[in-house]
Parts: sequence; structure tokens; C-alpha cells
Amino acid sequence: MRSRFEAAILAIALGAAPLGAQVFLPMKAGSVRFLVIGDAGTGGREQYEVANEIVRYGKTFPFTFALMLGDNIYGSERPQDFERKFTRPYKTLLDKGIEFDAALGNHDDPNQRFYKPFNLGGNRYRTFKKGNVRFFVIDSNYLDPEQLKWLDKELAASGSDWKIAYFHHPLYTTARRGPEVEVRAVLEPLFVKYGVDVVFSGHEHIYERYKPQKDIYYFTVGGAAKLRKGDTHPSPLLAARFDRDRSFLLAEISGDSLYFQTVTRTGAVVDKGVLARREVRPPATTTGAATQPKTR
Amino acid sequence: MVAATACKKEEAKPAENPTQAVFAGFAKRVDGYMKLRKTLADSVGELDPTKSQAEITTRATKLANSIIAARAQAKPGDIFTPEFSALVATLIKQEYSRRPDSVRETREDQQDELPDFVPKVNTLYPTTYPLATFPATLLPLLPPLPQQLEYRVVQNYLVLRDVEANVILDVMPNAIPT
Repeated sequence: MRSRFEAAILAIALGAAPLGAQVFLPMKAGSVRFLVIGDAGTGGREQYEVANEIVRYGKTFPFTFALMLGDNIYGSERPQDFERKFTRPYKTLLDKGIEFDAALGNHDDPNQRFYKPFNLGGNRYRTFKKGNVRFFVIDSNYLDPEQLKWLDKELAASGSDWKIAYFHHPLYTTARRGPEVEVRAVLEPLFVKYGVDVVFSGHEHIYERYKPQKDIYYFTVGGAAKLRKGDTHPSPLLAARFDRDRSFLLAEISGDSLYFQTVTRTGAVVDKGVLARREVRPPATTTGAATQPKTR
Repeated sequence: MVAATACKKEEAKPAENPTQAVFAGFAKRVDGYMKLRKTLADSVGELDPTKSQAEITTRATKLANSIIAARAQAKPGDIFTPEFSALVATLIKQEYSRRPDSVRETREDQQDELPDFVPKVNTLYPTTYPLATFPATLLPLLPPLPQQLEYRVVQNYLVLRDVEANVILDVMPNAIPT
């Protein structure tokens, strides 16, 4: 049986966090703290491993809610599938009262909106507020004029400091399938018009963080269970990328700052940083290409 | 005299836009379906958010079964009539031809996402297939639907689907340019 020391050395060799969770978030009093996972609902071993790592990090960084970026339940959606692909892997989090706020992905039956633990309240899209942050949950599978009208109205009415939109399909990505340019054509003008600060998407089973595009930060966090190894590509628009293992993102918002870190299934931190709210930051630069951290 | 007045009145009426007329006919057929659906949904009961996926599944299955039984004679073109289909196919073709290369290339890259089954009227949309993202720039061109219904693309078919019941209500082959 391996000693604790040997296990730690092995973990370091694998690029994993040694023993304790490496939390780089400031954990300020009164901050808004949340988890971001995408494309999680496979029910496979990797989903459970990522979930275990989330729980481990949650002990050091207590967050209160989780954004689900779609593909919450892959394949069949029988009651036993919800058990295997959602309630069992996240049991510890659910027992702690963590709120899951789901967006719908292309693999999700829209009837998931009636599933109470996903907090869609019977709707395909919704908005909610936490502290000084307004979240916009968008159904990017079906952007009918009614939804766009709703989004326009809600964005216009939002007086919050932070505006965060999340939905399944990435507007920017270097992954094989490419960005959803049709979705971008209808959403981006609204985001720009009303000053959305950050956008989270999934769909591509990788991690990417873009330098601000039209002053908006874009994250793709689609690897909470599935992985497309080698599917991110160098681009001068990217600030960070990672495609060698599954990952999730932890975030904290305090005042004008959004702190974040991206963690792998084995606990390694592959990206971290702090973003300023668009109203208080200088204009963005977009030079240089992101390299991947030396983690598996 | 009365006949002459009526004739004058008809002349004064503005000519109806042919697209509007076709869409109005479609809206009527959709209304007809929604009336039937309401009766069936009332007997199944409203679905409110619930912790029980079993409840959601049971309700969806009951609704689907009753819709399929009530529309046993349904056939392709009942709602997407030939006139409506011809018009919509033209609109979609025009929209696709206006697309920039970047959009076209992305669509091609995403073809592997499109479900590859042949959709059939009055059957369930197979739950093993994803629901391909509906082209966002296409939706404003199509007549609006009640929230219980949606358009979907399966291969080159445009599909009309009952969302909660997951039943394919009608199909329009060759609607989507390949």
C-alpha cells in the first residue's frame, strides 16, 4: 500500500494537487461564490471523479450555487438516469444545499425545465440575482424571437453591477466544431449593447478563456465529464486553454472583481486570475497566444 | 344594388400579402392542433416543477400517447401543407444563400451533430438523439409558434414537434439545403 508521502509525490508527478485543495480565491466576506460545470451528465466514472474533486475544493472554498452549462443529462432521461447522472455524483453538494442553476444543452430534453433541482422553474430561460450579480440563463438551442425579446427587456432592466450570461453553445472557441456564429450573430449585439461582463458556455469538451471580445470575457467550461483531448488550438485571441483532462471552474465575485480558478479532475489548477468589471477596466489588448499549462 | 355595394367593398379591401395568407392558414392549422392538445393536456393535468423525474416522464408519456392516439390519421403535410412547404423552403433557401462563408463552414462542421434518423409523423422524437440547435437566424423568418411547439431540423427535414410530449407533429422533407 502506498504511503501518504508516495501518494503525494505521485500526485505531483501527474500534475495533480498534492493533498489539500489549492485555492487561490480570496474568500472575501460577503462575496458571491459559485461553481461552473459544463457537459457533466454522462453518469460515467470521470463525472464522479470530477464531482469528488469539486467536493474536496468545496471544503476549502465554500460556494453556494453551481452554474450548469447544459448537457446536464446525456442519453436517456429516465428517473434512474437522473439518479446516476445527477443526484448520485453530486449528492454531497445537494445534501449541503448547493443550488444547481442549469441551462439547457442540445442533449437535454427541454422537459428538464420542470425538474425542480435544476431551478429553471418551468422555463427554458430565466434570470436570477445573487448579491451584486445578475445571471442570465439562455437557451441557445432555440433562440426564437420571443426569447430574444425577453433577453433584451431583462438586460435593459438590469441595474446590477455584474452581468453574467451563460448558455450551452460557445460564441468563441478554437475547438473542432468551431464557434456558434449564428448564435453569436443574435446574442453578441445584445451583450455589447447592455454591457454583459462575462459569458460562460460549454458544448466543447475542453477549457478555454478568451481575451475580451468586444469587451466581454468568454469562457468555455465543457469538460466536467467528457473530454476532447487536443481539441483546443493556439490563437492570439485566447488567454488560456486546457484540453488534457476534465475540468471545472470556481469563481468568486467581490465588488468590481471576479476571481476564478480552473481545476482538473486530479485537482491541479490550470488557470486562475482576476477580471475587472467592464465599467472599471482599461480597454482590452488581444496579442500573444495562450499556451497550455504543463499538467496532464 | 346590394350586390354592387358588396362588390365595391371587396374592391376597397387591400390585397393580402401572399406570404401572410399562407402563414395565416398555417396559424389556423396550428390553432386546430392546440385546441385538440388542450383537451388532451387537461385530462393529463398540468405539469409544475417537481423533484420527481418519474412524474415528468409519466406525464409526458401520457400526453404523448393521447396525442398519438387522437391523431392516428395524421400524415405528412397536414400542417405543413404543400403551399406552406413551398414558401418556407424558398425562404430558407434564400436565407442560406445570404449566409457568409464563416456561417456556412460552421454549419458544415456541425453536421455530425445533426440527428440522422428519418423523422415520421405522429411518432416520438427518439430520445437517444440530441436536438440539433435550430439556426438562430432562421427562426425570425418562420411563423411564430405557441410555446408548447417548436421547429427542429433533422437531416434536411424541417420538423414540427410538441415539446412536452416529444411527438413529431409534421415533417417537411427537403426543406434544408444540403
